[in-house]
Amino acid sequence: MIKQSQTLRALLPGDALTGGGTDVGNKAALSEIDASCRVPVLFFFLSGLAWLLAGTVLALVASIKLHTPGFLASWEWLTFSNVRTAHLNTVIYGFASQISVGVTIWLMCRLCRIPLVAPGLITVANLFYNIGVTVGVGGILIGDSTAIEWLEMPRYATPILFISYALIAVWTIVTFRLRAERHLYVSQWYLLAAVLWFPWLYGTAQVMLLIEPVRGVVQASVNWWFAHNVLGLWFTPIGLASIYYFIPKVIGRPIHSYYLSVLGFWSLALFYNWNGMHHLVGGPLPSWMITVSIVASVMMLIPVITVAINHHFTMLGHFGKLKYSPTLRFMVFGAVSYTLASLQGVASALRSVSEVTHFTHHTIAHAHLGMYAFFTMVMFGAMYYILPRITQREWPSNGLISLHFWGVALGIALYVVPMSIMGFIQGTMLNDAAVRFLDVVQFTLPWLKLRTLAGLLLAAGHGAFVINVGWLLVRMFEPYRKPVVRILTGEAETVAAAKLP
Amino acid sequence: MSVIAFILLGSVVLLPAAALMALRWAASSGQFRCPDKAALLPFDEVEPVGLETDRILGGNRR
Repeated sequence: MIKQSQTLRALLPGDALTGGGTDVGNKAALSEIDASCRVPVLFFFLSGLAWLLAGTVLALVASIKLHTPGFLASWEWLTFSNVRTAHLNTVIYGFASQISVGVTIWLMCRLCRIPLVAPGLITVANLFYNIGVTVGVGGILIGDSTAIEWLEMPRYATPILFISYALIAVWTIVTFRLRAERHLYVSQWYLLAAVLWFPWLYGTAQVMLLIEPVRGVVQASVNWWFAHNVLGLWFTPIGLASIYYFIPKVIGRPIHSYYLSVLGFWSLALFYNWNGMHHLVGGPLPSWMITVSIVASVMMLIPVITVAINHHFTMLGHFGKLKYSPTLRFMVFGAVSYTLASLQGVASALRSVSEVTHFTHHTIAHAHLGMYAFFTMVMFGAMYYILPRITQREWPSNGLISLHFWGVALGIALYVVPMSIMGFIQGTMLNDAAVRFLDVVQFTLPWLKLRTLAGLLLAAGHGAFVINVGWLLVRMFEPYRKPVVRILTGEAETVAAAKLP
Repeated sequence: MSVIAFILLGSVVLLPAAALMALRWAASSGQFRCPDKAALLPFDEVEPVGLETDRILGGNRR
């Protein structure tokens, strides 16, 4: 009989391999939950990854245009403003949000201990979602952008997305109501809050900015209330929910302090949604509004520090496991980046710092530290854990896993660190009346070329991941007893001691 | 303007009310009572505490 790895044993239904045992029923239940999630979660993951590739290409084009403006200059639909905006919308709404929903579905089913309910609802939501993003990004590229940051998709696309968000929220509530486990884990608090907060944020911003638009400074304040809260009340809770689930699960140890995790959730809920106005330091708003926002931004130290302490002490003594688990690598990278991004955000909210860094590449670096180094890395980690379980196949290539991790880890470090430094110097130069504006622009050029290089590394990592996922899907159509990869064969035992490079 | 007034009023009244109701429900249903039990919720008999579940090259180890 072909030797199967122990990982696969845990994934396979019931006694498919073992021939029976005391925990067969539990195994079957776990397997049934994973199998029930297969189709909808795969839909969200695969469409999210397709948008990731599109977003990566758009990002590279935008990045090259910053230092080589003549690049693709004869294509009017590929002007910098179109491409940059399309990049943001594809990665935020097309990639990150769809992966978030996929992860949310799986986590809710696992933690509620029930198989997926109402699969039709979630499939319709996915269909609406992708139609909405396609129409929205297409609209941006043909010049229909609303020019409102993070809400650039034209009015004819956004109702489609709103329907999808609402369906996802309904599904989550239904799953929560039908749960078999009455006690809630902290990840469920975060997930439930996120799926309810986002339709409210999105709907409110749509009405106040596009359907019945407010005017003047209120428009700017609503805009930044929305844009900042997309990060803090949609992506951050889902990212933290994932970290709180996957780190304990991978290392086999409960979180250090459950009390701290609950404190972190409620303090995030209390303070985060006041933060957006710190983007308008120096703007024509009543100064008390900005001051309140700065105070709330500093208060974010409470949830950030509680989360950082909890993650660090949970991992203490288990850092050696980073050698073996891709999920853990991505999760820990994301958790550390969350702390760094939050501390950088708190500092950037202060008037004295914002006066220098605002309108510079420092802000772009900060956004990528939060959205990529934290959130995207966590989502990659989650997919490394979920995909083998729902497909019941192991990852085909460890080399591609390593290429993915090192490509994106080095890429994002090469992006964020130089851009943060350059942005600070750029701000200082901009504030100096003796420095010509053209000199500031020329100063940024070598740094912008470095940014393109970082983008290429990220693109290589994304390519490796997508190939590995495609390969995994091909393996789905082969019988699991077939020795499709070497760790499932006898050879696996000889390489078992090897570590990921 | 009426739609905006409705949204603002709804946001100001309903959201804090919903948060308070969620807190009240959590307290009354014992969600904060047994933190040690809650911390164990990701685990079960198949994947208990002490079991590593993502050793790509090594398989599951106790």
